[in-house]
Amino acid sequence: MAEAASKKPAKGAAARPDTKASAKAPAKDPKPSVEEMGPLRNQLFPIGVDYYPLDEERASFDDWYDRDVEADFTAIAEARISLVRVYVSWKLFEPQVGQYDADAEDRLGDILAAARVHDLKVIVVFFADDRLAEMNDLPWAKKRDPRDDDYLVQREISLVQRVVNRFRSETAVWAWELGNEAFFSGFGSEDALQKWATSLRDAIREVDSARAIVLACDPETLVRESGVDARGTIDDFEYGVSHVTAPYRAYAAEGPLTYGPATYLDSFLLRAALRDLPVLADGVGVPSLDVSVAEEAAYVRTALYSALMNRASGVLLRRWKDLETEKREPYFRDPFEVLVGLNDVHGEPKPVLAEVRRFARVAARLDLRVHTPSPERAAVLIPAERYEPLPSLAGLYTPRSCLQAYTAAKEAHLPVTLAREGDELGGFMTLFVPSAARLSASMWSGLASFVQSGGSVVLSYGGGDADPALREIFGVEFLGDHGVRPVVSCRIAQPGLLGDLTAFDVRLDLPHYALVGSGTATVVATDATGSPLLTLNQYGQGKAVFLAAPLERAIAQSDPWAAPDAVRSLLRTVYGSVARAAGAGPVIDCDDPSAEIALFQGEQGDVVFILNHSAEAITATLTTERVVASVVDVRGGAAARVEARAFGVPLGPNAAVALRLSYG
Amino acid sequence: MMGGRPTALLTAEELARSGAVGAAVEACYEALALGDREPRIHALLAHLMLEGDFYDQAIAEATKAIEIDPDCSAAYLALGLAYDRRGGMSDQSVLVWHELAEVAPDLVTAHVQLGEAFAAAAFEDDAVASWKRALELDAKEARATYNLAIASLKREGMALALPLFRQAGELDPSQDELFFTLLGVHEAPAEPIDIERVKPTREARLGAAGLALRAEDLFTAADLVRLVLDEDPDDPEALALAAYAYLKQEAANESMACALRALSLDPELPTALYCLGVVYSRRTGLNRHAARVFIALAKRAGTHALVHVLLAESLLGLQKFEAAGKSYRLGVRLDPACVRARFGLAASHLTEGRFAEAQWEIRRAAYYDTKRQGLFWRLYDEYAGAGED
Repeated sequence: MAEAASKKPAKGAAARPDTKASAKAPAKDPKPSVEEMGPLRNQLFPIGVDYYPLDEERASFDDWYDRDVEADFTAIAEARISLVRVYVSWKLFEPQVGQYDADAEDRLGDILAAARVHDLKVIVVFFADDRLAEMNDLPWAKKRDPRDDDYLVQREISLVQRVVNRFRSETAVWAWELGNEAFFSGFGSEDALQKWATSLRDAIREVDSARAIVLACDPETLVRESGVDARGTIDDFEYGVSHVTAPYRAYAAEGPLTYGPATYLDSFLLRAALRDLPVLADGVGVPSLDVSVAEEAAYVRTALYSALMNRASGVLLRRWKDLETEKREPYFRDPFEVLVGLNDVHGEPKPVLAEVRRFARVAARLDLRVHTPSPERAAVLIPAERYEPLPSLAGLYTPRSCLQAYTAAKEAHLPVTLAREGDELGGFMTLFVPSAARLSASMWSGLASFVQSGGSVVLSYGGGDADPALREIFGVEFLGDHGVRPVVSCRIAQPGLLGDLTAFDVRLDLPHYALVGSGTATVVATDATGSPLLTLNQYGQGKAVFLAAPLERAIAQSDPWAAPDAVRSLLRTVYGSVARAAGAGPVIDCDDPSAEIALFQGEQGDVVFILNHSAEAITATLTTERVVASVVDVRGGAAARVEARAFGVPLGPNAAVALRLSYG
Repeated sequence: MMGGRPTALLTAEELARSGAVGAAVEACYEALALGDREPRIHALLAHLMLEGDFYDQAIAEATKAIEIDPDCSAAYLALGLAYDRRGGMSDQSVLVWHELAEVAPDLVTAHVQLGEAFAAAAFEDDAVASWKRALELDAKEARATYNLAIASLKREGMALALPLFRQAGELDPSQDELFFTLLGVHEAPAEPIDIERVKPTREARLGAAGLALRAEDLFTAADLVRLVLDEDPDDPEALALAAYAYLKQEAANESMACALRALSLDPELPTALYCLGVVYSRRTGLNRHAARVFIALAKRAGTHALVHVLLAESLLGLQKFEAAGKSYRLGVRLDPACVRARFGLAASHLTEGRFAEAQWEIRRAAYYDTKRQGLFWRLYDEYAGAGED
C-alpha cells in the first residue's frame, strides 16, 4: 500500500523539485517521503508572504530587491509558503517620462524566474507605498497626485501594460495587484477610487485576460482611514482582502494580542470583507516590535487559524524579514506597520516561522473540496449608521459594538458572520443588532418580515428615540432614555426562558438605558428597580429579544479586556439561547467560551478546528449531535477511541488543534 | 484669536462638562462652522474624542489646536494622552510631553507621562529622571513611584523593586477606603464628632468612632473606643478599630496586638484581618503571614478589588509570581481602574517575560489615572481664562 502510494505523488507536491529525490531515497533514509508527510500545501488555501523591496532602512530606493532572492525563495518554499507578493517601483521602472529602465524589468524577471524554480506563485503589486522604498515618488511627477491626475494615470496605464505585457506568459505570476492600502487611503472619494481602479483594471485586461486582478484594500479599514467606502469598487475585482492595519487595531482592539478582543479582530475583519468574492486574509502579523517573539508567534498562530476557520481563501503574512531600522538618536523604533517579519534582521528564522510551518502542515491536510464549513445561520448586523461621518459618533461606536457582538457570538460557539443593513437576510435564522442608535425604515421593515417569517432577532438599545416598529416587533412600549448608569443590574424574572441567566450587580458604565413598558413581550430579566432589561416577544413565527441597554457598546467603550464576566456571560447566553432555538446554533457545542470551534463537514467524516483565544491552558469539552467513534489529529497519528457524544480536548495557551472525527 | 467665547463654544463646553459627549461634539461642529481658527474648539473636540477613546480623531483635533496656537496647553495634554493611549507612538509622545513640561512646568502628570513615553521607547535612564522630577514636584505621586518600581524590577529584579512597590502602595489612599468599606462607613461626617453627644451605647460609640476615624480624628476615635473597651475589654470590633487607629499612627506592634486579640475573639472579623494583614505586610520577612491573613480576608470580602491586590503584593514578596498574577488579575477584573492592581499585574507579567502585556497594563494604569485626575479642564480653563483677560 505504502509502495503503491509512493509511486503516485500527492497532487500538491507533484511539481516540487525534491519529490523525485524523496522517491529515490534509500530505504534507510530517515527523512519521510512526500507521501508520508502528506500534501505540502493546500492548493485551495495558499499561504503567502509580503516580500518587500528593502530590508534595511538605510538602503536607497535603487537597492530595490538587490539581494539574494534565490536564498530567500528557497527558505520560503521550505516553509511551505506558496505565494509571494513583490512590489514594482514606478520610480525605478520609469526614471524619466516614457523611458523605462530595462535593468529594473530584468530584475523583476529574475525574481519571477526564481519564484518559478521554487514552485512559488507571485502577486505583482504596481502602486504601493511601503513608506521606505519611495516606489511612487517620481521626480518628474512634480507633486501631482497619481490617483487623480489624468496625465499620471495615463503614465500608470502605460507602465502597467508594459509590465503585464512582458510577463503575461510567466507562469509564476498568480495575480496583478493594483496597489496597497497605504496608497488607496490617499483617495478622497468613492468615485475617484472607482474611476482610477476601473482604468487600471481595464488596461490590464487588454493585455492579460487570464490572471486575477486584485485591488487589495480592506473595505472596513479603508473607510475608517479615509472615509472612502470601497465596497462597490472591490466588487469589480476577482479577490477581496481583509487587513488588520495598525491604526485599525489601535481603534478597535488596542490591547494585549494574545487574549480578548484582539484575537477576534482578524476574523471580524475577514467576515466583514466576505461578501461575494473570495477573500485573502492580508497582512497577518504583529505591527510593531513591542511584543516578544513568543507573543508574536502566539498571535500569528491565532490569526492563521482564524483565517482558515472563517472562510478565508488564503493568507498573506506581513513580512518575510524584519526591517533593519536606523539606530539614530533619540528614537530608533519607527511606527512602520511593515516592520516585523518572519525572520530577524540577520535572516535567522523566528519562532513565528515555525508556527507558519506547523500551520501549513495542518492546512495542507484539510481538503476543502471534500470538507465544507458548516453554514452560518446567524449574523451580526452592521447598521448603516456606521458610514455616517462626524459629528455623528455612530460611525465610531458601531464597529466596536459589532466586534463585541461578534465576540459574544463566537464565545457562544455560534457559526456567525456579519451582514450589513440593506443586505439580503433570507439566508439567516438569527440576527444580532448591537447597540444601534438608528436603523432605516426599510431595515425595520426588513426586520419585521424576517421575524414574522420565523427568524429571531436580538436588538440592544443604542440611545435616542425608538422607532415605532420597536413596539410592533419587540412588543415593548418605549418610555424614554434613562441615560447614563454606572452599574448593570440583572434580576431574573423568567428563569430558563433565554438560557441559564443569573442575577448580578456589576460596575460598568452604561451610556443609555431604555425605559420600556412591557406590551405583548414577556419580561425575562429586569434591573434592580424592576425596569425591564431583557424581553422576549413572539412576533409572527419568530422571536424578538430586546436588551434595554447597549451592552455591546458598554463593553467596547469601557475596557474589553477587563469587562465584567457577568455581563459577557449574559450576552453570550442570550445570543446562544436565541440562536439555538432558531436553528442557528452550533453543530458542535463546547463548554469553554474561550474556545472557538469551526466544523468542516464531509461525507466520510468531519474535521473540527478548535482555537484557544485565551493565554491560559484550557480543556474544551466538545459535544456533538452524533456519537463520535474516534478522533485523530489531521496530521496523522493514532486515533483515540471516543464512543460518546462528548469528549475533552486539552489546549495550551493560544493553541489550536484540528481533529478528524469518525462517527459511530 | 482669543476673544470671548462664542455661544456655540460655551454650549459645547457645558455639554462636555456634563458628560454629554455626542451633543457636545455636535455643538463643537456648529461652532466650527462659524470659524475653524479657534483653538479652544479643537482642543475641546480633542478632549471629547479622547473621552470616547477615538485616538486618531483626538490627535487630529489637538494637532490643529496647536497649529493655531502653540501655547494651547490643554491641546498638548489631549495630544499626549491620545498618543499614549493609542500605543505605538512613543516617539511623538516624548516630544509632546516634553513640550507640555515646558509650557506647564509644575504639571506633575506631564513628567510622569514623559517618563512612560521614554520607557516605552526604551530610554530607561531618561524615564527614571522624569519620574524623579515628578516626585520632586509631588512626593506622593503614586504612579511615578510605581514606574520607578517597574524600572527597578527590570534592572535589578524583584528583591530590590519590592520596597518601591510597597512605598507606592502606601501612597494609595484607596487602601483606607477599603478599611472603611469593610467597616460600613462610606462618608466622612460633615461636622466633628462630639463625644458628649454620642449615645452611651456600644453601637453608637463604635459607629461614632468609625466616623471619627474616617475624619482622621484619631483622638476622638480613641476615646470612644476606650469607653467601649472599658465596659467590655473583649469586644473584637472595638479592638479592630483600635488596631486601625494604631496603624495610622505607625504603631505597628500595638496595632498587631489589638488585631490579634480581636481575631482571637472573632477569627473572621474583616476589619481586624485587614489591620493584621497590613501590619504584617509592612514588616520585612512576614510576607507569609500577611498572605495567610489576606487569603482569609479574600474569603470574607472577595468582592473588593483591593483585597486581592493586598494578597497579591504579599505573594509577590514570597516570589510566588504566578499566584500573585492571578490575584492581581482578579483585582483588575473587579476594578479595571485600580492603578495599583494594574502596576502589580505589569510586574507579574514582567517576571514571566510577557513584555507587551506588562506595557499594556502600565498604559491602562495611566489611562485610568489621567481620567481620574481630570486635568484637561484645569488646563482648558486656565488657557481660556488667560485668553479672555
